[in-house]
Amino acid sequence: MTERIEKLLKTLRSHEYKKQRTTKKYSFDNELKGLNKYMCSVKRLSCMLENEKPLFIENDRIGFYRYIPQIPTYSLPNGRTVEWHEGNITPDYDKAISNGFKKILENINESKNQNRTEEQLQFLEAQEFAINAVLEYCKKYREAAKENGLTELYNALGKIPYNGAETFYEALVFLKILIYTLRLSAMAHITIGRFDRYMEKYFEADLKRGVSEEELFEYIEEFFISINFDSDTYQGVQLGDNGQSLVLGGCDQNGEYKFTKLSRMCMEASIELNIIDPKINLRVDKNTPDELYILGTRLTKRGLGFPQYCNDDIVIPGLVKLGYTLEDSRDYTVAACWEFIIPGKGRDIPNQKSFNVPLVIRNATINWLERCKTFDVFQAKVIEEIRKECDKLISESNNRTDPPAPYQSIFVNDCIERAADSTEGGAIYNNYGFHGSGIACGADALSAIKKCVYEDKTISQSELLKALETNFENNEELRSKLLACPRMGNNDDYADELGNFIMQEYSSYLNGKKNNKGGIFRAGTGTAQMYIWDAKNTKATADGRYDYEPYGASYSPSLLTKPDGPLSIIKSFTKFDLTNIINGGPMTLEIHDSTFRNEDGVTKVAMLVKAFIKNGGHQLQLNSINRDILIDANQNPEKYPNLIVRVWGWSGYWKELDNVYREHILRRVEYSI
Amino acid sequence: MIKGTVFSIEEFSTFDGPGIRTTVFLKGCPLKCTWCHNPEGQNFEPQIVKSPNGCLGCGKCFDKGEEVTGKRKLVKESIYVCPRNLVRECGTIYTPEELCKKLLKNVDILTDSGGGITFSGGEPLSSHEFLLECLKLLEGKAHRTVQTSGFCPPNIFKEIAKNTDLFLFDQKIFDNETHQKYTGQSNTNIKENLKYLADNKKSFIIRIPLIPTVTDTEKNITEICSYLKSLGINYAELLPYNKMAGGKYPLAGKNYKPNFDTEKEPQPHAEIFEKFGISIKIM
Repeated sequence: MTERIEKLLKTLRSHEYKKQRTTKKYSFDNELKGLNKYMCSVKRLSCMLENEKPLFIENDRIGFYRYIPQIPTYSLPNGRTVEWHEGNITPDYDKAISNGFKKILENINESKNQNRTEEQLQFLEAQEFAINAVLEYCKKYREAAKENGLTELYNALGKIPYNGAETFYEALVFLKILIYTLRLSAMAHITIGRFDRYMEKYFEADLKRGVSEEELFEYIEEFFISINFDSDTYQGVQLGDNGQSLVLGGCDQNGEYKFTKLSRMCMEASIELNIIDPKINLRVDKNTPDELYILGTRLTKRGLGFPQYCNDDIVIPGLVKLGYTLEDSRDYTVAACWEFIIPGKGRDIPNQKSFNVPLVIRNATINWLERCKTFDVFQAKVIEEIRKECDKLISESNNRTDPPAPYQSIFVNDCIERAADSTEGGAIYNNYGFHGSGIACGADALSAIKKCVYEDKTISQSELLKALETNFENNEELRSKLLACPRMGNNDDYADELGNFIMQEYSSYLNGKKNNKGGIFRAGTGTAQMYIWDAKNTKATADGRYDYEPYGASYSPSLLTKPDGPLSIIKSFTKFDLTNIINGGPMTLEIHDSTFRNEDGVTKVAMLVKAFIKNGGHQLQLNSINRDILIDANQNPEKYPNLIVRVWGWSGYWKELDNVYREHILRRVEYSI
Repeated sequence: MIKGTVFSIEEFSTFDGPGIRTTVFLKGCPLKCTWCHNPEGQNFEPQIVKSPNGCLGCGKCFDKGEEVTGKRKLVKESIYVCPRNLVRECGTIYTPEELCKKLLKNVDILTDSGGGITFSGGEPLSSHEFLLECLKLLEGKAHRTVQTSGFCPPNIFKEIAKNTDLFLFDQKIFDNETHQKYTGQSNTNIKENLKYLADNKKSFIIRIPLIPTVTDTEKNITEICSYLKSLGINYAELLPYNKMAGGKYPLAGKNYKPNFDTEKEPQPHAEIFEKFGISIKIM
């Protein structure tokens, strides 16, 4: 770590730099009066940029920090108030950074010269307007850089973003400008995407020009730190949920696996820096060498909750099944948390709704159990309930409209060529994804019903229904019978097959159904915050879960399951063909931090990850956890100002977490290894 | 039929031999080491225990329990009333076939990583008939490690050794009198069994627990080193005393009463090992 990086880290941790920001509240409603919907959006961006003030952070050469932390809302001509743009995009960074805005403006102009409707012209003009506003601000920033003695930045801004970048440094500044302006355009989740792919040519060019590896490594670290400074201003349900995921490794569009010198440097930078952003995702496949898993485990050891692993052997065929082209599928990246999306080509909304599995199983139980003589008959009713719930969620989703986003659409293909906003059919992919919350809880409930009610006949239908209605009040013995049934996560086919049944019925019914944007629906295994919120809407379930008790996070055993261990969990959760349920959502494992205390332990954790991939797992997220520290941190948060934990698809500072998440994490680690 | 009592099966145990391992802990131990961190493994009989993590303190388990010498004791019924599912029977009785079936359920992952199955305890050799049956059943199916104090009649030990791929063999205290003081047993058999392994070129790894002021004295380490050297052994793994060792005593309904200074830092004495040409790894 160089002296510059050490100083930058210190600045980041001191939070002093935030004092440069304004506390003034802005509103641009007057400026937006009478404008068309596209202009409204970009006018807010230009108003923001006019009021932004070039800020600098000592020792930093990347620049572009926020002066106005809060983005004001605005109203569309139809009266709708726009606060944030939902969904996840990974912009086409490659095209923008290599071509520059000059070429993009030419493309817009070409598109304008086609036979366009008035609305299409409005859209394209709004894009031009936005680009000019950004260029104007970069000019202002350049002058300020000169005054502050930042010659390197001043020189770079003489070329970019109007022209394309040629050096690694220019490309990084360009990337930062894109992140900064897209955040100002009120996009909630902009991911960093396949950084090692689109930055590769600049990195290689610099090496050829004789730039040393040490200098390039310093740039990488500097950039990583720079995207942490403003992350508290980004929209998130909780601080930390800001979408800055970065993907390393994986195959290129021709199917050739790439893990380059740059990929390795990114991993090493992340290990050394130990900061929340970017959140590293590592793409692997059956041929990934052990050494790479070990490198990944060294990062896990840092306790940040990443890297998250994605298995190319499962994800790519899964996306192809959903209708993505093979070439695009190979280029997949992850959205804010884990959802698989295609960079630069989609405006998928992969977290559109949550399919609440325990609720569906509960509904089936309440509505049908007493009328079903055999478990087979009951299972058929479960299928009906699954479909009913899917239909309900589909119909709610298909009422969705999104405010136009002309600036964001510049970086989504083929919006310019089609002269259509990415929210209105301009993007190549416009799919909606559903989470699948509480899959294991649902499987356990079915397992308990099958065993206690139908096979062993130790509980009658009416007894179970009464217990579910009364939250097991004064009925602990009945509940303990339910708890003792086979559960998903112990490599016991009895429960695992019922989990497979749920996933099969849910995914085969939902996948491919048409949405109102010309796209389709995709089923997934993630939960995001729904392991809390869905559970809050769901009363007691037949697995012995009390009213409103939370589910496990994402694709993992129920909190009530005392698993035999991680090997059994891996086996249980890879029995289903996960290519069929590929919206995203990782298996989550907690591993006690003492496991990592020597190289032997690190290697063994790496082998565990490899076993998951080899067994056909789609996505894996590991946490290095020390329960005693968490308990102490819960009582004395001030003692742990820098303690970072994984919450769901993201990591956050413990001291900033809501209590409900802290409690869930504590429960999750009760059975940690 | 031979049966064995298991107090825990731990998947992915990372310090019990090479690769990814599943370790099975057999209940019962003839030694009474004052630093023992597995108190629930000392008795041979099953017990009802409660994990303190996540306990709501509702007291329902004790309400079901029975009064024994003025103290509430958990009983089997206590298991079913715990709202958090934290009370369990510590000590499950298995036939060798049942246990091996369970141990082998993830064997592909174990073998792929160069790992296998480890028998630990308690003292697994004190359930030697059961252990031997299990080892035989696992032959050719999984790599077999036995983690032991070495305390066992030599004729039985030889039989076990024929069916074991690797021993993790403790060397605690060389001086017999001191050994008796801290473990309650003589170490004559232990020395003989170790000599057998060394003389017959069996695979084994020496493990030395570093207990402050007990095993980590200059005298004891020098004596152990000199003995190891005489057997041609030049590698040992050191296990520093864990201050959390007393953690599980309340779970087992026991009091932790170590007769040594638990606050002292364990001394590895790397220089002594170096002098004897024995390489070490601190675990």
